[in-house]
Amino acid sequence: MPSSLALTPGLGSFLKCLKTNPIDTSIETLISLLKRRQIRHSRSCATATAYLLRSVISACRTTDSAKLIERVQSVGRRLMAAQPREMVVGNIVRRVLGLIRDEAEDDRDAEFALSDIGSESQPQTPRAYDDPSLPLDRDSPAFRSEERSSRPALTSMFSLLSHPEPENSLPSTPGSSSPNGRLPGHGPSKDVRAEVLEGIGEIIDELGQVDDQIAAYALDHIHSNEIILTHTSSTTVQKFLLKAAAKRKFTVIHAESYPNNHEATHATVSGSAVSDDDNLGLEAFQKPLIEHGITVILIPDSAVFALMSRVNKVILGTHSVLANGGLVAAAGTRVIARAAKVHQTPVVVVSGVYKLSPVYPFDFDSLIEYGDPSMVLPYEEGDLVDLVDVQNPIYDYVPAELVDLYITNLGGHAPSYLYRIVSDHYRKEDISF
Amino acid sequence: MASTTSSAAVADTKPFDIVATYNELLRSDADITMPIAAIEALVLLLTQSASSTISETLDLLEKSTAHLKRSIPNPIGLSAGTDLFQRYLITTLQRPGQLGPAGDFKAIRTHLLSNGRLFIRRAKESRDKIAAFGRGFIRDGSTILTNGGSRAVAALLQKAADEEGGPSAVRFRVIYVLSSTSQDCKLPNEEPEGMETVRALRAKGVPVSTIPESAVAYSLGKADMVIVGAEGVVENGGIVSRMGTYQIGLLAKAIGKPFYVVAESHKFVRLYPLGQYDLPIEQQVLEFKSEEDLAEERKQQSSAADTNGDTPIKLPLCDSVDFTPPHLISALITDSGVLTPSAVSEELIKIWF
Repeated sequence: MPSSLALTPGLGSFLKCLKTNPIDTSIETLISLLKRRQIRHSRSCATATAYLLRSVISACRTTDSAKLIERVQSVGRRLMAAQPREMVVGNIVRRVLGLIRDEAEDDRDAEFALSDIGSESQPQTPRAYDDPSLPLDRDSPAFRSEERSSRPALTSMFSLLSHPEPENSLPSTPGSSSPNGRLPGHGPSKDVRAEVLEGIGEIIDELGQVDDQIAAYALDHIHSNEIILTHTSSTTVQKFLLKAAAKRKFTVIHAESYPNNHEATHATVSGSAVSDDDNLGLEAFQKPLIEHGITVILIPDSAVFALMSRVNKVILGTHSVLANGGLVAAAGTRVIARAAKVHQTPVVVVSGVYKLSPVYPFDFDSLIEYGDPSMVLPYEEGDLVDLVDVQNPIYDYVPAELVDLYITNLGGHAPSYLYRIVSDHYRKEDISF
Repeated sequence: MASTTSSAAVADTKPFDIVATYNELLRSDADITMPIAAIEALVLLLTQSASSTISETLDLLEKSTAHLKRSIPNPIGLSAGTDLFQRYLITTLQRPGQLGPAGDFKAIRTHLLSNGRLFIRRAKESRDKIAAFGRGFIRDGSTILTNGGSRAVAALLQKAADEEGGPSAVRFRVIYVLSSTSQDCKLPNEEPEGMETVRALRAKGVPVSTIPESAVAYSLGKADMVIVGAEGVVENGGIVSRMGTYQIGLLAKAIGKPFYVVAESHKFVRLYPLGQYDLPIEQQVLEFKSEEDLAEERKQQSSAADTNGDTPIKLPLCDSVDFTPPHLISALITDSGVLTPSAVSEELIKIWF
């Protein structure tokens, strides 16, 4: 990696490398970054994946959407294999695949203008959750991409009785019928590739503004004189709180999330956050909560239960959100969610839609990543290492029933509703590719 | 089997007896579900009748469906099939396109009539689809508690067992809850429901333990998850299933084990039960009797000559069902994917509105 000499390996160095190096080198670079965990925040991974796929597609000199899909799938598979627990990588790959399929289908629709109009009622359904009272920017890329991807209907119950010709020629293999492979002879009337690149640009834009979009809902959820409990130094949560702090006075209790994130949390609370490479230094310019006159109380994680009875609302960030409404978040989150349940305190999770994964958590244990044990037991205690088994889980799985509300860049949703957003954002055939 | 034109249909003036056809279909094919048998019976009905207009057909369907529902003690399962059939007909006719609009009524009629077999095959294939989706739930070293004679559950477990020794070898154990009520109305030496699956699993090398219903709470501590089948999935995502499922659901919730339901999406039925006693069927489960009542009953039985057909048909105890509310269900494994209970209403809304 000649280009990354000057920088510590991370998102910044990767993006630089992407500009100068051939595409295959960049793929390798990202794979090794993911494997070594040198790129680790959800958003950094998502951004890196989106940029990489954009380069992959622009380097792919073909207009055949089937070939594009194949190429993206093969790159996506390698990226996901490099770091299976970083689910945003898979999410972004799936969304790009969905984009290509949508564009390919749009082309076909243009040719077969008299396709069934009966599905006209479909695009209206996803709008149902778009609460008109919420200030949603309709031109936001999130909304547009969501609207577009909502068109392919889920398999209806009617598929049992439907006419045999148009589909279900192989009903036993769901999703195997790639709609694009079927019409190889048709030259697309417009450049699929350009459209897809534009779509990826929108995804990248979405990643850039997702926190601000989520923060726009802050005033609906944080009221004056409330006591809010939060955890870790999540930027999304910080922006959310800051937005409310501009208008209202409240108290924040911040659990320090020892041992994996306590330094960053301390820095966030005191406002001395040094820009770390992964966050692109944007947050460093932000004033901390205390400068807005907000009382911030930093507590050890062990005090969470004791203080929970005084807390009005728990606001949590997350690593990724799963299709059943559960979430994988920093270790300690489940304790907080459970304590909140005991005290009947509402738990609100703020998360961009890009973190929402169509993966169903069959096996919770496999989702949890174990980190550096020296955080718990430093090397100075080396003589103890032989005697004890030290484990440092980085994530917790929080089941859906412990969460009351998700706030994404599309608005607030109940955990039981997330399946719907999943089906709006990811094509069924891409869920397991 | 189209030639089941019965002798002297009961309340129907038509020579085609839909009730007999329905029962015959269920008897002849052990793999067929109630909704599919109902759809099949309606297809055969259309074959027999010479209706040529839409409203005539719909009227015929409506009447026969009502008759069928009246004559079957537990019409919850079959009404999913009849509703689906009727809605399909109506929606397809309303939609311009290949099979509509109205002018093409003949096309849709011939489609339905000529594809009866196909529907049955698809319905059976949907179990394979479910097995493929649900396969991921069965992890290596897990123990699964199940009950009843659901064919979808059996297909899922056998699929997982088949992969043993393959590239993705899963070793799992099964705790099979055998119902005790099912012996009440069967021959005394007949085996309880589910034994067939137990044997099939054991043959594939899966260790199976059979327990009575009273041992569920005791055994749940050893189980990692509960997987049950369903007779019908209702609008709020709850299920109508073999008596005893509700208590397993309650116990699983209390012990904190995930409770999964395996059901084909054609079992989704437009029904919103508010509780156990809100199901549209008569069950002989709770019967309060004093000695006086019993004496009366004996007297009536001795002079049981007047069997008036006006009283609603009661469901025998062995076929009784209960309702498991949605908050006890972790997920529904269907042929359209793994759904949360709240997704059921959306699937139903899609076909009804």
